[in-house]
Amino acid sequence: MSDTFDHSGMPEDERLAAEYALGVLAGAERAEAAQRVARETSFAALVAQWEARLAPWAGEIDEVAPPPQVWDRIASALPAPAPSRPGLWQSLTLWRGLTFATAALATACIAALIYVGSALRQQPLVASIDGGGHRHFVATVDPTRDAIAVMPAAFSADATRVPELWLIPPDGKPRPVGLLSADRAITLTLPPALAALAKDNAVLAVSLEPPGGSPTGAPTGPVIASGKLTNL
Amino acid sequence: MDLDANRSLIAAALARIPGGDRAALQTVYRLTSAKLFGVCLRILGERAEAEDVLQEVFVTVWRKAADFDAARASPMTWLIAITRNRAIDRLRAARNSRRMEPIDAASDIADAAPIADSALENTQENARLHGCLGELAEREQTALRAAFFDGNTYEELAARMSVPLGTMKSWIRRAMIKLKACLER
Repeated sequence: MSDTFDHSGMPEDERLAAEYALGVLAGAERAEAAQRVARETSFAALVAQWEARLAPWAGEIDEVAPPPQVWDRIASALPAPAPSRPGLWQSLTLWRGLTFATAALATACIAALIYVGSALRQQPLVASIDGGGHRHFVATVDPTRDAIAVMPAAFSADATRVPELWLIPPDGKPRPVGLLSADRAITLTLPPALAALAKDNAVLAVSLEPPGGSPTGAPTGPVIASGKLTNL
Repeated sequence: MDLDANRSLIAAALARIPGGDRAALQTVYRLTSAKLFGVCLRILGERAEAEDVLQEVFVTVWRKAADFDAARASPMTWLIAITRNRAIDRLRAARNSRRMEPIDAASDIADAAPIADSALENTQENARLHGCLGELAEREQTALRAAFFDGNTYEELAARMSVPLGTMKSWIRRAMIKLKACLER
């Protein structure tokens, strides 16, 4: 086999980046390439380009849910929240800051008490998301976990577009929640700002969007179904 | 499975991690761990090892989330690259890859083709990659697949396909040149 292709068609650095991204290097060669990724932004960019070229292949790999203890191990392996550094105690800025912080903390405590008080009374919310005489999805909001679970009912998939869920609070402005699936229940975590809006009488709506979801942050395709959140 | 289905959600959660938001890391975990665990299992073959590597991956994500640039990369591309690198490092530390059974040039092509009728959602990128892989010689496709999915080194690929090391390097390098040219067309 001729060796000529090894030295033509792709510059040396790019060839090495491709080999590193594919994973065929071993030993010192792989270690050296890894160090260059960490040190040289231009080499790291070449590797990132090859990773992007190859990544769609991973779509072929089946999803396998890891056992729950893996998350527990990750959570316990994270560093503890950073302690304040010594030396700060001599800082005038710190003491000035603390004066403000104490007032802010008092306000936050009151807010937290109100929040906890209301959380204790929070019940799951449900919505039947209907359109055209069919029930397309059923959604359940768990306020204690700030999560929303959405189960497909009579929704049939569109070949080119994906269903995206929107939360519409009384101000009428749709907030993107996430993409849904036609064939399985999806659980989405609600960021705090959204969770605060997922209340009784907020509306959930589903629109059809290009793969990856609406590029604009607002529905771009037809809204095919909607339903009001109500307390169980 | 559309790898970028939750792209904006994952990117938004990654952006909150450098501020020390553990809930954001958990959101990324919920949205991506099944795919990433699948990648670990495919390369490592053993659940216990795959679980260890998945843990390393998310601790790495916690430390390096600030490096992720949503304007330049897809979050799944970034996460899959971290996962494959961690899994391959683990494989190399064990000195041998688990998948070392001999393969001949055409043997895996039957497995390579059925992307279109599998349960996978055929995204544009996926379709383009597969179209371009289809233009490669069978032996080149087989070698690239074994490298990507089994985490084999040049030496291991040469042994599995019973060709000299220099030949294997030529195949892979030539395949990469052709793949890049096709993807950029």
